[in-house]
Amino acid sequence: MSGAGIMLMFGDVAQGSVCTTNEVSRLIEDLQCSLGEGPCIDAHNEDRPVLEPDLAAPITPRWLAFTGPAVEAGVRAVFGFPLQLGAIRLGALNLYRDRPGTLSREQHADALVMADVAAQAILVLQSAAAPGELARALEDNADFQFVVHQASGMVSVQLEVTVGEALVRLRAFAFGNDRPLVEVARDVVARSLRFDEQNDEKDP
Amino acid sequence: MTDLARGGRKRRKVVRARTGPGTHDCGGDDQRNGDPMGREAILTRTFVELADTLVADFDVVELLTLVADRCVEALDVGAAGLMLAAPDGDLRVMASSSDAMRLLELFELQSQEGPCLDCYRSGQPEMDQDLGANNGRWPTFAAEALAAGFHSVNALPMRLRGELIGALNLFHVDAGEMQQVDVDAAQALADVATIAILQHRAALEADALNDQLNYALKSRIVIEQAKGIVGGRKGVDMEQAFTTLRNHARSHNLRLTDVARDVINGTLSATALDGPTLRRKPSHAPHLRCGGGEHSSPQTG
Repeated sequence: MSGAGIMLMFGDVAQGSVCTTNEVSRLIEDLQCSLGEGPCIDAHNEDRPVLEPDLAAPITPRWLAFTGPAVEAGVRAVFGFPLQLGAIRLGALNLYRDRPGTLSREQHADALVMADVAAQAILVLQSAAAPGELARALEDNADFQFVVHQASGMVSVQLEVTVGEALVRLRAFAFGNDRPLVEVARDVVARSLRFDEQNDEKDP
Repeated sequence: MTDLARGGRKRRKVVRARTGPGTHDCGGDDQRNGDPMGREAILTRTFVELADTLVADFDVVELLTLVADRCVEALDVGAAGLMLAAPDGDLRVMASSSDAMRLLELFELQSQEGPCLDCYRSGQPEMDQDLGANNGRWPTFAAEALAAGFHSVNALPMRLRGELIGALNLFHVDAGEMQQVDVDAAQALADVATIAILQHRAALEADALNDQLNYALKSRIVIEQAKGIVGGRKGVDMEQAFTTLRNHARSHNLRLTDVARDVINGTLSATALDGPTLRRKPSHAPHLRCGGGEHSSPQTG
């Protein structure tokens, strides 16, 4: 494997990255959080491993927005394994490789075990938290991209729209300008980017 | 024999009638005469039934009642009951092969004295082969048990590795030692029940933790969004926005998450929040305000 990461998800929404082993796997998770599509999200939603052994030339093309930037970053094969304990679904383990190819039977089995261990570990970490709070260990080490939610709040003020719609606008802007969502959000919170202005400029 | 001992046997037939129409006519005497086929068949069926309760809607009392019933049915036992330790450490009767008041009292008595209590404390099987003998360890319990028609008693621990959750109590009409094969079978039933209960408990805990994690993350996101709104409306940075929200929650005795939610859905105006309406604008204003500043800064006046 070239890299791995763990994403937390609740409902159908990617909430953030618990950990990633390198920049590329970080990007894989950022892309999925920003775009709302990708192997982890499918693995989580469909409750099964999602395997793409040849991302650059897939048999069935999927993840239209995700694939381009991921391939560009050097991802050739990508695999998502759901993190689950019984009926509990926590997110997905994400593995990638810089060359195409399927997982061996052994690697597949190992990934399933790893996903299991990760799911347990996340709950064990959370068990240390006060009620209603995120465990420190999770909060400190995970990247929940809270800045994106702060930016949603700010954009909702700027555009006089709901925070939900503001998030959609942020995503659209990030995608349209080929920038990571987190980076756009940071600019908004730092007040170097305003959506009321930007929209005026961008609307043709 | 006394009513209770007979009652236990009668109960056995009732149980059979409930679970298998073809078997209720063979009385308990067959087992007492040592019908190993009958016992093994019942035990095998019991393990299948137990496995089944693990996948279907799990009900602890139902599972334990099944174990108690089958102990009476398959083993040479007059009455059986299972006691589990409550969170406070006291043993509580969870299931019994008969609902006869005197039997229930015998179990209950053991929260103070008796084989179940000792078994739960020691983690080891406890027994009294002759409750009528005068050197018994449990004088109060022995007197009550004898009055109910039981002359010997066994208690088997419900434990998995280090964890002890309760005990299985077996009462016998006659004095004497319980056969080792029966003890082993009873212990196996207790073990299955123990594993089921611990697994169920672990699953519940995991569920609760997951809910908690989910809730914590959701409240956190709501708070972050509200920070953004307060920051946008009042022109303060995220830290000041947070302080504003928190101060409002504190001074109005509200939960932070509720305040945040009110800010987001507009029931609470961000500009109306007390707290520092810091004017950080001057340093940023030339760069920031050329677009739609008039929208978002009603507080500048």
